[in-house]
Amino acid sequence: MKSELIRPIQNRRLPLWRYEARRAGWTLLAAPLTALLVGVALALLAANGGSSRDQVGRMLLAGPEVLLPLTTGMAAVSMVARDGCRELQLSLPTRYAVTLGRRLGTLALAGAVCTLLFSAILGLTGLWAGPGPLASTLVWLPPTLWLAALAVLVGILGRSLVVATTVVAVVWLGELLFAAWFAAEGWARPFFLFTTVRFGVDGDWWTNRLALTASGLLIVVVVALLLRRPHQLLTEEEV
Amino acid sequence: MDIQISRLARRFGKVTALHSVDLSIPGGMYGLLGANGAGKTTLMRILAGVLPPGSGQVRVGGHDLTTGAGRLAVQRRLGYLPQDLGLYPDLTPREFLDYVGLLKGLDDTRARRAQVDELLDLVALGEVAGRRMKGFSGGMRRRVGIAQALLGDPTLIVVDEPTAGLDPEERVRFRTLLAGLAGHRTVLLSTHIVEDVAQTCQHTAVMAAGRVVYTGTVADLVRVGEGATWEVVTGVGGPPPAGVVVSAVSRTDGTHYRVVSPTRPGADAVPAAPSLEEGYVALMRRAAAPVPSGSTGR
Amino acid sequence: MSELLAVSRYEFRMQARKRSLWLVTLLLGCLLIAIQGDQGPRHLPADTPPAEVMTTWAILLGIVVPLGFGMVLADRLIRDRRLGTTALLESLPVGPGRFLAGKYLGGLAASALPVFLLMLVAGGYESLHRGDPLLLGWTVLVFAVVMLPGLAFVAGFALVCPLVVSAPLFRVLFVGYWFWGNFLGAEILPSLTGTLLTPVGAYPASWLSGQWQMYAGDPGWLSFLRPEPDGLAALSSVLLLVLTGLLPLLVAGLVFNRRRRTTV
Repeated sequence: MKSELIRPIQNRRLPLWRYEARRAGWTLLAAPLTALLVGVALALLAANGGSSRDQVGRMLLAGPEVLLPLTTGMAAVSMVARDGCRELQLSLPTRYAVTLGRRLGTLALAGAVCTLLFSAILGLTGLWAGPGPLASTLVWLPPTLWLAALAVLVGILGRSLVVATTVVAVVWLGELLFAAWFAAEGWARPFFLFTTVRFGVDGDWWTNRLALTASGLLIVVVVALLLRRPHQLLTEEEV
Repeated sequence: MDIQISRLARRFGKVTALHSVDLSIPGGMYGLLGANGAGKTTLMRILAGVLPPGSGQVRVGGHDLTTGAGRLAVQRRLGYLPQDLGLYPDLTPREFLDYVGLLKGLDDTRARRAQVDELLDLVALGEVAGRRMKGFSGGMRRRVGIAQALLGDPTLIVVDEPTAGLDPEERVRFRTLLAGLAGHRTVLLSTHIVEDVAQTCQHTAVMAAGRVVYTGTVADLVRVGEGATWEVVTGVGGPPPAGVVVSAVSRTDGTHYRVVSPTRPGADAVPAAPSLEEGYVALMRRAAAPVPSGSTGR
Repeated sequence: MSELLAVSRYEFRMQARKRSLWLVTLLLGCLLIAIQGDQGPRHLPADTPPAEVMTTWAILLGIVVPLGFGMVLADRLIRDRRLGTTALLESLPVGPGRFLAGKYLGGLAASALPVFLLMLVAGGYESLHRGDPLLLGWTVLVFAVVMLPGLAFVAGFALVCPLVVSAPLFRVLFVGYWFWGNFLGAEILPSLTGTLLTPVGAYPASWLSGQWQMYAGDPGWLSFLRPEPDGLAALSSVLLLVLTGLLPLLVAGLVFNRRRRTTV
């Protein structure tokens, strides 16, 4: 036991990423795979029901653009809301925000790898109905970032898994049900999450994607600022 | 690593957990006694950098805990065992300690792993080091907890109710281990089990309702019970009507009660030499009584 | 019977004290009232029949309020495990069936209470606004016939399913199901929308209001579950929803009973 073992933390080490991936557990792969496979199932049902190739293509996009944000948002909030070792984590010299960031990063990485593979397969088989390869990431990344960041934000502010998951569910469902309202309201259109599936890659698509990315990043910044006071994450049971 | 606390207060909404606490803790083993809800855990959390102080000053080894930099500096030298340590059940003790070691900044893989194995042997968990912690007993979990607290050879060890839920043998083992560590470190032991402090600490503080009501040696705390500890033997009937019954032992000649009371609890009560527990009870009764003006309560 | 009542009563108390339950209902209620669109009750003409006014409210609130209801109930049985009270509860002489039934009744009552109060507020507002005190009576009836069966259906699944698929996964599946089973038109994909098993209460709402509501009876998949919306169909829908909601409880009760017998 040598005291010189303790050194200022410099590089983020690979073993820590591995441990954080294990903390996230099965959710890590279940979140993207559930979304993508349900999307495929819906597309198969639509194809079986006599839908056109274009409609089936749109349905396949629903996996990454519509379902992935929901599953990722729910997984993200579950990771943030519950941590059996939170008090111990807060006493360690590694900032808890960094640990949470790493944990959520593994979720983002798993989601990105699965979705990129999925997009590549659809592209190779000619079933990809979204924009070209360079812009294809923008089909799923902005809505996923936005909803997951919102989920984490509400989870931190409300310190309630129930409130956070309900907000995610309501925003997701509300955007699906009130798509026409979003399309009609000029100011709301940039914040509509499912533009590719509902309206296609039209003139407003880029504006929408950029607005979602910018506002999603803004929420991430707010989350990072809130995590500067990580003790606020201790729930009533823990305090 | 000495600890200097002055006028420390902490509120949670409408509840005041700490009222202007002043405390000076030198190196070595130091006990913090108090009933549940006395504010011990809040104080421990502040010292561990988990909670920021509400107001007042807290300096640990010269570092100011009211600043982020100060908290980080202390956390680099800290070993902390929280009262409710939830472990990650899907990890083995070896993996859990390795993980905590990484978060403590122990970058040298070989040295870290060697230290992990050494600590697991120290807490007698070497044989189950590769088993997932899911089915671990309360005692085994506490031992994992103390092992992680010792990672990185900390100079300040803060343990909150470490022996709660342990069997007698494990408690003794644990206390001996902690006392052995206190040689060149500060070990702060927070507990409501008086016996743990009696067996390991020379100095102690007592908290009640968010205030420090006593600081001094354990021997002086025992003396608080002098003149207030009585033994009463009753053949039939219940305990004496006055005072706090600390123990009751049934023997052939009747039930022997040990009672803490400022006045003689019965005509047949005889004065007795107090134990630490009785000194503590006498102190708590005194702390609960209205404080005369001018008294500091310490 | 007294044991069942005791479990129900304490489950009710524990859950009614959850701040998140009231917060979620209040948030969702305010949100829906604010963004109800031109189909919402605010835009109904002054001479609209009271039944239609209150069923429109029930449908509006029923769009998302049961989502919060399901989220709240999703960890009620898992919570016992997390808090370490399972062993204590299992040591009591209350059988698992009664225990589950008590949890179900207490949980349903507690979670339905804020929804009912929200409906009462809406009914009170409408009775003042339209000068018809009978609207309050309609509020109670509409809540009991349109909303409560759907809530009972959700409660059964929300209590039991997380034990099998874990709470986070259940929450995701539940949101997906809620969209698929209530709002995704059968002309797009095979779905339960517009069937007797639509928990948003399409059939009872259509029958009470005399207006076609929420795709009730639309042609599509499982045509035997899509009769013409009338009184009999509404009654069938209510019964089917309540009984289907009891199915997971029945299965869980049997599993718990068997487990207890094999571990004793």
